Amino acid sequence: MAVDTQDRPTATASESSTTARQESRFQRYRVRTGMFAWLMHRLTGVGLVVYLIIHIWGLTSLTDPETFNALIAKYHSPIFKVGEFALLVAVAYHAMNGLRIVLIDFLGWSPKQKRLFVTLGAVTAIIILVGGWPSIYSLGEWIFGPGSMPSLFL
Amino acid sequence: MAASKSNALNWFLHRITGTFLIFMLITHFWVQHYDHQVASVTHEVVTEKGQMPEYPEAAKEGVKARFGPDAEVTPYQVVMQRLADPVYAVLWKGFNILFLIVALHHGFYGLNNVMTDYIRNPMGRLVARSLSWTVALGLFIIGLYSVITAGW
Ligand code: HEM
Ligand code: HEM
Repeated sequence: MAVDTQDRPTATASESSTTARQESRFQRYRVRTGMFAWLMHRLTGVGLVVYLIIHIWGLTSLTDPETFNALIAKYHSPIFKVGEFALLVAVAYHAMNGLRIVLIDFLGWSPKQKRLFVTLGAVTAIIILVGGWPSIYSLGEWIFGPGSMPSLFL
Repeated sequence: MAASKSNALNWFLHRITGTFLIFMLITHFWVQHYDHQVASVTHEVVTEKGQMPEYPEAAKEGVKARFGPDAEVTPYQVVMQRLADPVYAVLWKGFNILFLIVALHHGFYGLNNVMTDYIRNPMGRLVARSLSWTVALGLFIIGLYSVITAGW
């Protein structure tokens, strides 16, 4: 959460006012749409930071053709193709859930949020399918042999 | 600790950088995976040690047009179509630097939020914060260096 953690309500605070305050604060995207969405946002966020660190470190090879070729060749190994797909799933989820949070925070879209949730869920699925096709295609070609996968829009 | 004013600013900036990242990641993804001429990653699995991925015709033509008919079509050359171009390189390097800054700010600010949620002790928070921003600064310098010197 970008919002600072809330202090525990003091024992003297009146019950109802505390609940009201907490509701206005958490209702928006934390509890109603589930802790799960929030937890996944956090996990994918941290995962992406880890990837970014490795990525920038690896890119120091941009200064040397041999090393860079070795790096990109490694990106073509089967395990990296799986990783590439996983990376896309993480990015797509984090981006669309992040967009949802931004829309709710800036445009006050909370009333529509169920529809927003479903719409963005559909968009995420499309991003994963269209964007992930290159990885799925190359893995399929490798496992089932050349020409076994429809190249579609590639 | 930092004044709450700067926290509000950072909270706002985090949303702005997040929104920017959507557009930058789409561009990055397109350029690295989809564009037939300049994508660094091809739709091919490579398992042999030392073997290079085979690039599409558009990439081969592009590399030869830029680096001469004898140029090898390796990942490096394919990427250098953009990064060693006398004109567009400035744009691409500029884009990469902006992307680098925005991604690092968003990622490390987010990481700090997560750490603040789990680290209770103020001293621990200070240490975690200083350490993480030092790492971010280091990555910024490294990334800046690689992308500026690439191909030049
Ligand atoms: C693609 C566009 C992206 C959007 C729209 C986006 C949006 C957001 C938003 C709105 C938050 C705040 C969540 C909250 O306050 O509860 C957030 C948190 C975070 N983001 Fe992103 N983000 C994007 C990409 C990235 C990338 C590329 C990284 C990694 C380098 C990243 C790492 C994080 C981390 C670590 C957090 C903190 C998670 C937490 O507090 O639980 N994000 N993101
Ligand atoms: C498998 C997917 C990816 C591949 C193959 C890839 C490949 C590359 C390559 C070859 C470059 C060199 C610069 C250029 O070509 O213009 C680059 C730069 C960069 N990439 Fe990626 N990338 C991927 C995913 C990501 C993701 C998910 C992020 C964000 C978290 C990211 C962030 C960056 C940044 C910030 C730079 C600029 C680095 C610098 O200025 O030193 N990349 N990427």
